[in-house]
Parts: sequence; C-alpha cells; structure tokens
Amino acid sequence: MSIDWITVAAQIVNFLVLVWLLRRFLYRPILDGIDAREKEIADRMAEAAGIAAAARAAEADHLAEIAALRADRAGTLEEARRSAEAERDALLDEAQNRLSKEETEREARRAEEAHAYSAELRRAGANALLSLTRKALWDLADETLEQRIAAHAVTQLGAVAKDLHSAAGDSRQAVALSRDPLPDDVRASLGAALADIDPGVTVRFVTDPSLAPGLTLRMGGAQVAWTVDSYLDGLESLLEHHARRTVTRGLTDAA
Amino acid sequence: MELTPDSNIVFTIGGFGINKTAFNTWLIMALLTVTSMLVTRNLRPDVPPNRWRTALEVIVKGIEGQIAEITRRPDRRLLHFSGTLFLFIVTSNLLLVVPGFDPPTASLSTTAALALSVLVAVPLFGIASRGLGGYLHSYLEPSAIMLPFNIVSEASRGISLAIRLYGNIMSGAVIAAILLGVAPFFFPVVMDMLGLLTGVIQAYIFAILATVYISSATATPTDRTEAKGKDQT
Repeated sequence: MSIDWITVAAQIVNFLVLVWLLRRFLYRPILDGIDAREKEIADRMAEAAGIAAAARAAEADHLAEIAALRADRAGTLEEARRSAEAERDALLDEAQNRLSKEETEREARRAEEAHAYSAELRRAGANALLSLTRKALWDLADETLEQRIAAHAVTQLGAVAKDLHSAAGDSRQAVALSRDPLPDDVRASLGAALADIDPGVTVRFVTDPSLAPGLTLRMGGAQVAWTVDSYLDGLESLLEHHARRTVTRGLTDAA
Repeated sequence: MELTPDSNIVFTIGGFGINKTAFNTWLIMALLTVTSMLVTRNLRPDVPPNRWRTALEVIVKGIEGQIAEITRRPDRRLLHFSGTLFLFIVTSNLLLVVPGFDPPTASLSTTAALALSVLVAVPLFGIASRGLGGYLHSYLEPSAIMLPFNIVSEASRGISLAIRLYGNIMSGAVIAAILLGVAPFFFPVVMDMLGLLTGVIQAYIFAILATVYISSATATPTDRTEAKGKDQT
C-alpha cells in the first residue's frame, strides 16, 4: 500500500474537472429545468387559485342573487295578486258600468216607447172619443162637436165676462183659436156674444191643426178655453190605471 | 497480486505513463458527462421529462435533500461538490462488477486525492461563508486550548476519509479476487453483490461526511444555536 503523489495530483485535477463537467452538464440543466417547472407549476397554481377565487366570488354572487330573487318572490307574488285584483275590479266596474248604461238605455228606450205608446194611445183614444162624440151628437142632436162647443162657450161667456173684460184691458180685439174652421153661424153667434160683453170688440178667427178640438178665446192677456184636453187627460189616466191594474194582476198571478 | 492499480500503466503519452487509476477515472468521467449531456440535451420546460431525465432529477434532488437535511441551508456549490463526490465514488464502486475494471476508488491515491479535496474544500467553504477571520476563529472554539486538537481533528478527518474508502473498496476487490481463485463459481458473485452494497454505502458515507465537515465549517454560531434548539425539541 503506497501513495503515488503524481496520481493523487492527477486525481485531484480529474475530480475538479468532473465537478465542473457535472455542474455544466448535469446539475445546472437539471436544477434549472426543475426550477422552471416548479415556477410553471406555481404560476398555474396561482392562476388556478385566481380562477378558483373568481369562481367562488361568482358562486357567492349567484347565491346572493338567488337569495334576493327568493326574498323578492313573495313581494312579486303580492304585487301580481294586487294587480290581478285591481284588474278584476276594473273589469267588474267596467261590466257594471256597461250594464248600468245598458239598463239606463233600456229604461230610456222603454220610457220613450211607453211615451210613444201613450201618445199613440192618447191620440187614438182622442180620435175615437171625438169620433164617437161627433157621431153621437150628429146622430142624436144633428149638431157638430164644434157647434156644440161654441154654443156652450157662448152660454158660458156671461159667467166669465167680468174677468175677461178686466183682463183684456184696453185691447179691442179677441182671437178665437180652433183646430178646424168654425162654421159661419158659430162665428156669428160668438161675435154676438162678445159684442154683448164688450160692444167695441172685434173677433178674429184663427185655425191651428195642432190644437185640440174645441175653442180657445184670447182677449188681451186673458185666455179662456173649452177643449177636449181635460177629457183626453182623463181618458189617459183611465187607461194608465187600467194598464197598471193589469200588470199588477199579472205579477200577482206569476207569484 | 497487486493491491493498487496505480502501478499498472495503460498507455504512455510523451513518455508520461497513464496508469489504470487515471485511465479508469477518465472512463467514469466520460460516462457521467456523456450520460448527463445525452439526458439533459434539448431540455425545455414545456417538454415532459422522460424516464432518464426523471431518474437524474431524482438523484440530484435526493442529493440536494440530503445536503439540506444536514446543512439546513441549501447551497448549490455544496451540491456540486458533494454530489460529484457521491456520483464519482458510487459509479466507480458499482463498476466493480465489470470484469477487468479496477475501480479508481480501490486506489489509495484516488481516495487520498478525494480526501485532500475535502480537506481543502472545508476551509474554502468556511472562508467563503464566514470570512477568513471567522473561519480561523473556529479553531479557537470553544477555547484557545483546543487549537491543536482542532488542527489534529481536521487532519485526521482527511486521513480517516481516505483510509475508510480505500480499505473498504480495496478489501472488497481483494477478497473477490481471492475467492475467485478458491471457489470461482459461487463466492465471487456473492462477494460482488456485497461489494455493490458496500460501494453504495461507502459512497454515501464519504459524501455525507464531506458534507458534514463542510457544513460544520460554514455554520455560524447562530446556525449552531438554532440546530441545537431543533435537536433538543
């Protein structure tokens, strides 16, 4: 066992060269590669952590949004219910208004129809009454209705002469209104009767088809009428009373 | 029977004889360097490591981990030195099984060279770490009376390193050669297997001891206090 110092020196040099070679071709590439890979892994981990944090934040936002929606759901339902109730009330009001309007229109139409019917009935009744009266007067007394009314008016003038004269004031003209032209004898008797009341008065005879059968006498501010209007009103009342009784009886029978 | 390959001249260059120890050392250096070059070429971070690169990474990281456990302060320069010691010795010892190959570590000259390298590296690392004054002051610790003992301790470290490695490897090779003459079919195989195990262990011990020596030279008083505290816990 001996030591060759030249070999020792050579081995020291060889070892130092080997240290340099391995540092150049082994340690540095391997460790640099590991460091780079660890850095890449750390970067990816940091990126993943960032993504995970973002995902957690998004999850928290989503959960908060869901919670808000759940909390708001009751309010939304209540609002929808109120809206539905309001719409229902509006529709009901509109229907009631429409029904009320239709009812009013029906009432108006019915009143109008009733009025028209009443007028027609009155006109027909008046015509029938007048016809019957005329026929009866003519058949039984050989007189027309107008003659009889005028004759009656002449007989009644005396009773109202004082009032008529005072109401006429300074007026010297009387107006005799009738629906049909009065016969000459009637005109003459009427003129004579007025002359008895007021000798200076003149009579002017006027016909108006819209007037009721009879005679109306105007003198100044006074007016005296002998027409069949009151009789027609009585006839109308009679007919209405009869119709009301008929309707009441029908309702009682139906009940 | 030769106990050392130093006297075996392989070839001569310019009248200077190249013995088997140096020649085999070159072979090991070439083997380690070429292998490293082949494995680490075209090494890019985006390319997944293959099994060879993974094996080298495991070896390098294993050495770095052992050093980190000892020094508690990662140092790439110490990795280069101690790692090269381990790789050279273990490669040399494992090539013991190659017929006709005399491992350089079976030469006392090689182990002495490695021990001298460690002896020189210890003060160099210590001075680089603590400064010249700090390193020289460590010879006076814990008191100036310890100066001669510390100097003897440093010298005996190198001698023990060299003799331990040389004795183990040389004895294994010698015993294998003796048994090859006595029972050539069975015992040499067993002894070579034992030699492989011994060789790996000796390489580990040599590198670890070198690391411990360098680490103790580079450790500051604060490091020693922290290490003592950790050991107590």
